[in-house]
Amino acid sequence: MILVLLSLLILTFAGILSYKDYRISLILSLAVLFVSLEFGGIPAIICFLAILNIVSLAVIRGNQISGVDYAMVGLMAIATIYAFITSDIAELLALFVVVSVPTYLLVMVDEGKLNVDTGIKYITFMVIATVLFIIGTVMLYSGYSWQNSAIYFFGFLLLLIGLALEVGIAPLHEWVPDIFANANPISVSIIASLAKFVPFIVAMKVIMITATELTTSALLVLAVFSAISMFIGNIGALTTQNPARILAYSTVANMGYVLAAFVAIMASKDLVYYAIAGALLQLFVNAFGKVGFFNAIKGGASNVSNYILCFSFIGIPPLMGFWGKFFIIYALVFSNYLWLAIILVLNSAISVPYYLRLVRITKASTPDMLTNILTTTTAVVMLVTLIPPTWFVELVSEVFK
Amino acid sequence: MIELLLLAIFISPVIGSLPVAFAWLLDPKRSWARKLPIFAVLGLFISLLCTLYILFNFGELDERVYRQVKFEWLPGFNISFTFIFDYLSRIMGVLTALIAFLIGVYGLEYMKHDYRLGWYWFFFNLFTASMLLVVYSDNLLLLLIGWEGLGLASWALIGHWFRDDDEMSFVGVVGRKIGKLNYFWSPSFGAWRAISTIRLGDMPMFFAIAVIFFLAGNLNISEINWGELSEKVGSVGIFLILFAFLLGPFTKSAQLPFSEWLMTAMTGPTTVSALLHSATMVAAGTYVFMRLSWYMEPWNIHSAGIEAIYVLVLFLGLISALYGASVALGCLERKVLLAASTMSSLGLMFATASASLWVGKFAIIVAFWYLVTHAFAKATLFLVAGHLIHETHNRFCVGGKELAKHLKLAFIATILATLCLSGIPPLTAYWVKSAMDGVMHHLEHEFGLIPLALLVLTSAIYSAFLAKFLSLNFLKGEYHVKAHGGGRLMSLGYTAMVSLLPLILLLYLYHPDFHEFVAEGFLNSSLAVGGIVLFTYLIALYKPSLESPVGRALGDRLYLAFLNDYIIPALGWTLAKLVDYSNRAIDFFCHRAIPSAFGLLSIGIRRIQSGSVELYLRLSAAVLVALVAIAVALGVIG
Repeated sequence: MILVLLSLLILTFAGILSYKDYRISLILSLAVLFVSLEFGGIPAIICFLAILNIVSLAVIRGNQISGVDYAMVGLMAIATIYAFITSDIAELLALFVVVSVPTYLLVMVDEGKLNVDTGIKYITFMVIATVLFIIGTVMLYSGYSWQNSAIYFFGFLLLLIGLALEVGIAPLHEWVPDIFANANPISVSIIASLAKFVPFIVAMKVIMITATELTTSALLVLAVFSAISMFIGNIGALTTQNPARILAYSTVANMGYVLAAFVAIMASKDLVYYAIAGALLQLFVNAFGKVGFFNAIKGGASNVSNYILCFSFIGIPPLMGFWGKFFIIYALVFSNYLWLAIILVLNSAISVPYYLRLVRITKASTPDMLTNILTTTTAVVMLVTLIPPTWFVELVSEVFK
Repeated sequence: MIELLLLAIFISPVIGSLPVAFAWLLDPKRSWARKLPIFAVLGLFISLLCTLYILFNFGELDERVYRQVKFEWLPGFNISFTFIFDYLSRIMGVLTALIAFLIGVYGLEYMKHDYRLGWYWFFFNLFTASMLLVVYSDNLLLLLIGWEGLGLASWALIGHWFRDDDEMSFVGVVGRKIGKLNYFWSPSFGAWRAISTIRLGDMPMFFAIAVIFFLAGNLNISEINWGELSEKVGSVGIFLILFAFLLGPFTKSAQLPFSEWLMTAMTGPTTVSALLHSATMVAAGTYVFMRLSWYMEPWNIHSAGIEAIYVLVLFLGLISALYGASVALGCLERKVLLAASTMSSLGLMFATASASLWVGKFAIIVAFWYLVTHAFAKATLFLVAGHLIHETHNRFCVGGKELAKHLKLAFIATILATLCLSGIPPLTAYWVKSAMDGVMHHLEHEFGLIPLALLVLTSAIYSAFLAKFLSLNFLKGEYHVKAHGGGRLMSLGYTAMVSLLPLILLLYLYHPDFHEFVAEGFLNSSLAVGGIVLFTYLIALYKPSLESPVGRALGDRLYLAFLNDYIIPALGWTLAKLVDYSNRAIDFFCHRAIPSAFGLLSIGIRRIQSGSVELYLRLSAAVLVALVAIAVALGVIG
């Protein structure tokens, strides 16, 4: 904890110093992240993602808060890493806020003038989401402690709505397409990647801590949410020609996949590990893929990398996207949610046309070097699972004992 | 030894036909290629010698004795190449080989100038070999190989003149139409009708054999425990199995309503018709039924299912017999008349063999000997018909006394064959028919006198059209074309064939095995039937043709062709249309409806994105309220 606070202090300091020179902040943020690489496997991947985010922010370094933005990404990364480690509900809620707030600023960042309209829209939803999330968590815990089923369900559903609003799960996804289409692609790439982890991890930890026999029926509502989100995301993306919108609906669909993994929470321990591993892999696919694609939209990228990202999103083996869905489906089938598994597979099929179209639309004749490197890096990350990721399940089982 | 013998029986006809087949493939114009069929006939002759050896050297010819020869085939499945040499197969084998050989000799001359000798001889000999395989095999799977060989060869031979360019090879009056339907048939169409009808029966038969194998674990007819099998599957089960199995024999032996193909099978060369109608193909159906009954011994099994099947076969046979005889009575084409008469005889064989359920093995023996008698007589008549067609260049029954003078041997052979086949006392078929009368008389307790009455009626009509055939072709035909000479080898063929009928007569009269036939023949009732038959024969001889609408309808085979050529195709087309429509529906759903539904849905989902925060918040609030309601509900239940 002390280490975290120290990192946070350094990053704040870096943010302040950046008014002198943005490079100071850049160096300090990267330094903190490199130090944090030692926390273990999954935090290392998070750090790597954050580094990619910071580097991609360099593409729009002419923005209004240049320098501070690096420090904020670093802040989010440290919070995310710590969310994996702690299981204290108060700390988790604090981390939720720490990850959420920097995005309020980041969403408004643009090269020209500040994107205030978009920012207000985003902040409105995020504030409501945060409030509902926190109230939900508190009620859930109270209901669990007092063994009051009404309060328990109420808390569970508030938490669910908070989560849905925060990450953009249908039918509470309305802000996502608007923000994705109107904000700067680079800042969206951060919202769509690094910011998605903590809400899920916190929600999952809270539900696991407060699990009772009531959870099983509550999870049914959650499964329905997940199915709706998959369908709305994939069908919504099916006919649009705007790449940012495609990615927005793709996010909605991916959040549905991740949420689906939650229904295995009440299953046996092995299955839970597979479910968490699947959810995290899917989050990584979503995060790296979004970084890659938004960079491709911004400055262009090589077609090969784009196709690798696209196939990974579709879920073609042996790319990471396949393993994420595979683990989730595995967990679903063996925790008696066959119907949800079938819906997931169907949705993967529905998603094929628009991902391919996305590659076609984002094709650039002369890609910018930095964005190309970033996209290619994310494509290489998708190839990590050439070694079947049982190692990832082991990492997960170490983190979530 | 026995292996070589069997190999010689089945292989030598095929090998013998290979020289001409290959020569024809290479260069059909050479005159030396036209001499090669002699090897094919030689192959048939070797087969004949082997069957004769089997007939005389495999111990006493007794109803109870049989000898089985097994060669390993699929030991894991208890299926082997099993051949059986018993009363039925030893005689039937000789009959098949002998008739095939004699027709082969006849064919040397008849087919001399044909344009497809390689095709003809290869399939002719394959036809014979397949039939011999059916005759000798005990294993149903092995039998099925021969059975399918018969089907293939019959298709190839009926459609031999595949160019459809010779009016002489058609059936029906060319150009005639009834309604929308062309009431005449070309060789290629005839071949198609044959193979399509036969396949219709073969498929259920194949499945029935599979079921029998599954249930009994054995496919050797003589070893299957039918009593146990019928107990295992119950009455309905055994009925269905036997019915499916017998659909094969029914279609092959052209019982109602599968008779049409047999009539248009006359589009093939006459030699083919002769072989097809006497010892192979159509006989295969009845033969398999006899063999089945022989070892099933239905008289020892008490099963309502088996009884129902035998009643069905009895009446199907009798009605087919009556239908065939009536059609033959109205028919004016030489070969089609004979074809209808064959159908009639096959019906009688089926009916008599099925009576074994009540009468015992004797009924099967009667049916079998009727098959033998009929085979020689019918082969003779076909060969004569072929000679007449050659001489007069006319498919219809025409010719007068001059033709009789010119073709004396043919005339005599026809007289002898018709007399011997119609059942006029004391000639060959009379004794068998008398025994048949006796068998039908036995059924009085079960069905009253109906079977006997149907038999007598059929016999009377049968004898009438045979006399009509004789009279119209040699005595009172409307006109005749100047015949040209030749045909020595052809004459030899049918003379040899018909000379066997007196031999069989002697066999009936003097061999102790047939004393029951003779005893039946001396009964008053049998003599009375003989008298009726003689009477109709004489009438028809005196007045062979009578113009009447009934006769014309009979000559048109009571318009059964509509079933084959109109109703069933119409059903088929309806089915095809249905499939077409459902295809289109699927196409519509997959290519239009579903994509556009998804397109609309997709646009609908995006339509919410008006950019108005107020709307979004309202939506979120609505979801929140809905979920609170759910939470309350769950809480109450919880």
